[in-house]
Amino acid sequence: MKTTIVTLTLAGSLASALAAIATPATAEEAKEKCYGIAMKGQNDCAAGPGTTCAGTSKIDYQQNAFKLVPKGTCLSMKTPDGHGMLEPGMAPA
Amino acid sequence: MPEATQSAFAAGLLKAAPPPAGVMAWNSPSPHRRYSVYRNNVSASLTDALAARFPASERIVGAEFFQAMAEAFIRVHPPRSPLLLIYGDDFPDFAAAFEPAREIVYLADVMRLEAARTRAYHAADAASLDPQALASIKPDRLGDLVFLSHPALSIVSSSHPAATIWAMNAGERPIAPIPDWRGEDALVVRPRMTVEVVPLPPAGASFFGHLAQGRTLAEATGAAMTDDAAFDLSENLAILLRAGAFTATRKDQDDEDRDRA
Repeated sequence: MKTTIVTLTLAGSLASALAAIATPATAEEAKEKCYGIAMKGQNDCAAGPGTTCAGTSKIDYQQNAFKLVPKGTCLSMKTPDGHGMLEPGMAPA
Repeated sequence: MPEATQSAFAAGLLKAAPPPAGVMAWNSPSPHRRYSVYRNNVSASLTDALAARFPASERIVGAEFFQAMAEAFIRVHPPRSPLLLIYGDDFPDFAAAFEPAREIVYLADVMRLEAARTRAYHAADAASLDPQALASIKPDRLGDLVFLSHPALSIVSSSHPAATIWAMNAGERPIAPIPDWRGEDALVVRPRMTVEVVPLPPAGASFFGHLAQGRTLAEATGAAMTDDAAFDLSENLAILLRAGAFTATRKDQDDEDRDRA
């Protein structure tokens, strides 16, 4: 009897978990590119994860390097050099 | 240079003692200043390696404090491997016992999170478990499932909001007061080649911890429910699949033996 209850719980939970992940809420879609907030070497890459331009920014808060952040939070991020930007700024001198 | 001199030269680099006997300088009767150049290079490069691995922690305590703590660590724990990317695995434990950092109670846990992230970054590649593979398993066999951990998987538990503090100091979230100050557990995973920190719901650390130790899905579920009545199995299964925490399942060893028999 106990086994049956556990089996039913597991099957039901798995079904709802599979339903939950079927909704297309991939990390990329819920994020926006935020320029000027990444610490040195911590930027993300336009060509996608795993490519070589990620992590290549030379200075903190480099204005033309971005990091993916939760959508809607970029402009509220404050750095010593100002707020995050949705468009790239100048390359470092 | 004879081997004995080389060993003495290397051993002296991390000590605050006079240069080893037999070391001479070409431009001075005392080799002290010239030898200090080597000392400084060793200390500075290892400190930089630690700062590169623990950037959020460095930001929390400030560069000056971090450097002093790193130098103290380097003297006690010099690298044992030429691979600097794994250097500092012991640094969080060292920081936990480091008297000047004692007031920053959450520092060691943030450092553990950062260490887990770099381990995940350099872990072997592996495809994560396909959700459809689970969907096709007969319901009465689900409880016996045993999961194989992804090489990148770590579980970091903290009695402080370490994951939030890390996110704020890593630039993932804006820095703000944390009104809800309580323990946080997180998975460190690397689905699709990007290291992610996934916050865990109540008893999630228990659930994933048991699964990672090779316990069956039924055992891990039972243990998590005992730890916290608020444990939500479907939420945790969704995290498991979405985070790619495991690569595959196998049935209980007994079952496999029986199947083969």
